[in-house]
Amino acid sequence: MPVKQRNGDQNDRFPMGLRVLAVDDDPICLRLLETLLRKCQYQVTTTSQAVMALKLLRENKDKFDLVISDVHMPDMDGFKLLELVGLEMDLPVIMLSAYGDTKLVMKAITHGACDYLLKPVRIEELKNIWQHVVRRNKFDSIGRNISNNQENNGCGATDGHGSTETNIYQKNERFGKKEEGPTR
Amino acid sequence: MTETKGCKGYLDEQFVQLEELQDDTNPNFVEEVATLFYRDSARLLAVIEQTMVRNPQDFTKLDNYMHQFKGSCSSIGAKKVKAECTQFREYCKAGSSDGCMRTFQQLKREYSTLKKQLEAYFQLARQVGPRESATRPR
Repeated sequence: MPVKQRNGDQNDRFPMGLRVLAVDDDPICLRLLETLLRKCQYQVTTTSQAVMALKLLRENKDKFDLVISDVHMPDMDGFKLLELVGLEMDLPVIMLSAYGDTKLVMKAITHGACDYLLKPVRIEELKNIWQHVVRRNKFDSIGRNISNNQENNGCGATDGHGSTETNIYQKNERFGKKEEGPTR
Repeated sequence: MTETKGCKGYLDEQFVQLEELQDDTNPNFVEEVATLFYRDSARLLAVIEQTMVRNPQDFTKLDNYMHQFKGSCSSIGAKKVKAECTQFREYCKAGSSDGCMRTFQQLKREYSTLKKQLEAYFQLARQVGPRESATRPR
């Protein structure tokens, strides 16, 4: 089975050129975030509205590697955005908030966030975010190879070993059908 | 960092980070952020003040606004103003309109003091190095 060339190329260029979509309704935080991300040599797109962020992602999912979003936004709850991005685009999402209480962090992680950063964000934290993309690409690739091998051996795709494996299979189904558009 | 000596106590390490982000590609970054801060937060403070007049008991709303304001203060490193925000939110939790009002007055004082300090800082910075003129925080 061919390992995806696309992912290999993407991983080669990281961390420079990581394409980030930053979402925050606070203009100061957004400006700061943008500057910090550019300092890390990422390509940054910003928007102050979650609704606009979704629009951008829906139009052009392949244009972004990662999303960073504030939790509290007036036009849409950050957790809602997180869920939608996970369902529709399967991109890694990092949540940002001035609140750090465990319940919120737990909520973010259980809703699918790959990280949770406290404001004000420091550049040291942003320098590592590209790892989430590489990690996800790698797991997708492994899962797909497993799934392909199983198909070749005549096994069923899912057999409920555990949630992690099920997620990988689900991701691969989506990945496999990427060109045809979202099927969920 | 002699320029920031005047602002000592009013600003924390976050401000230092802003200064460090200023470079040739972003020569007026600090002033830009400060301007953004004063513009955006002035609006928010006006809303908070209005709410305190019309619905002084709407602690949920006040707390939400103050949370936003505190977030902005964090981004710029406004230490003392941020401390007043925290105090204000404590009074919201306790349901004390009086406490909120007193703290809010104090907050406004710290906020204007900081503004003057920053204006002085930017003026000095402009004199020290050649720079294009930029708008002052209003």
